[in-house]
Amino acid sequence: MTPREIAVVVLVAGGAFFAIVAAVGLVRLPDVYARAHSTSKSETLGAVLTLGAVAASYGIGFNTLKVLLLLLFMFLTNPTAAHAITRAAHELGIEPWTGDEGDEP
Amino acid sequence: MVTVTEPRLLVPVDESASLRNTVAYAVDEAISRAGEEREPATIHFVFPLAERISFRNSSSRADAARTLLDRVASWAEEDAKGADITIETALVATHEYLSTPNDYADVLVRYANEHDLGLAVFDPRYDPIGSTPLLPSLEAEVRRAGLTVEEAPRDAEQPSQPLVRRGTLTQFFALFAASFGFYLLLAGSVAPFELATGAISAGIVAVALWRVSLTSPVAPLQTVKRLARFCLYVPFLLWEIVKANVEIAYIVLHPDLPIDPEMVEFDAAVWSALPVTTLANSITLTPGTLTVDVERQHLIIHTLTGSAREDLFAGTLERAVRFVFYGRAAARIPSPFERREEDDA
Repeated sequence: MTPREIAVVVLVAGGAFFAIVAAVGLVRLPDVYARAHSTSKSETLGAVLTLGAVAASYGIGFNTLKVLLLLLFMFLTNPTAAHAITRAAHELGIEPWTGDEGDEP
Repeated sequence: MVTVTEPRLLVPVDESASLRNTVAYAVDEAISRAGEEREPATIHFVFPLAERISFRNSSSRADAARTLLDRVASWAEEDAKGADITIETALVATHEYLSTPNDYADVLVRYANEHDLGLAVFDPRYDPIGSTPLLPSLEAEVRRAGLTVEEAPRDAEQPSQPLVRRGTLTQFFALFAASFGFYLLLAGSVAPFELATGAISAGIVAVALWRVSLTSPVAPLQTVKRLARFCLYVPFLLWEIVKANVEIAYIVLHPDLPIDPEMVEFDAAVWSALPVTTLANSITLTPGTLTVDVERQHLIIHTLTGSAREDLFAGTLERAVRFVFYGRAAARIPSPFERREEDDA
């Protein structure tokens, strides 16, 4: 394998790992706020690493630039979406789970 | 000491979407207070017309201010419905330069003392400086000077800000240039065809959105400086994001799920829309913290672990955002933790 292929494999593996973490977190964490943590952060890094792999496989050129722009938009939109969801939950008056009420996570 | 039922009111006015509402509230308040005290109700509407460097000449601004005051006075008379109430209007600070909330507070307090007014009623959208939220600090200053302060209730039906604002030609061209540049970037060539279609598209975008998308005047030099500092900020943020993810991955995959979630609130020391947005998004992207709600610069944040809370209050991110938008000097403001300790002391 060439160094570029190795880089691509590492990036894709990392992306897949964090995407899986996001999915596991979505299932395991106790409430909407905690779940939003998992979807906003791990999901962002997963997508970023995968797109990084795409950019690496293209090499330097206009396509890479476009992928970088995609990355930029992911950084802007992912937290905003997580914020919108939790804000809606907050405005509906959903109390965050704190673990001291004896309810199951 | 000011009595609770002070019937002499000071109401600062400026063009504002909720002004009509505030006038009605002030008149109601004055009449009911006067009824309790058996004193005549008095309302002074004042317009602090500061000297300002502007393209419009100052006499036309003074005329606009007088027209507004006349309109306010007629609204107030209408609301009073013949009740016994004295309404006065005044232009103040016509030859002073006002720039900070303190300046405005000084002017208002001086006027209140001259005319023996004990209660200041503020319009919830009173913001004569523009672009920076002025009201909280202004209210605090006026209160410190011994006046009672009230804020008229917000009218929920009013939209918070008009979507379409007055635009300037600079804004138009800035938007045109940005759209054109972006189009050419995506096209990846500068062939005549791309140039022509790009110019047409950018033209349509700029015509349709120039009064919507850029909310503040464009200052090219400042924008370039900010962009440069922002480029320094990005690697720092990326590093924080990687740390955040390793931490979250550890927590999520740990068999015991070691979390200790809690909602925390604090007032960020950043002052306008874009910095607050940047800070809120950065907080969401970094270790165990998620911005739930933002009102002006008051942030409500959901934190997943105790260490995330400590990091948040240490204020590293906040400092970095201040560095991006206001330069190095502003980065040295105390952290949220230190501010809170000061408040407690």
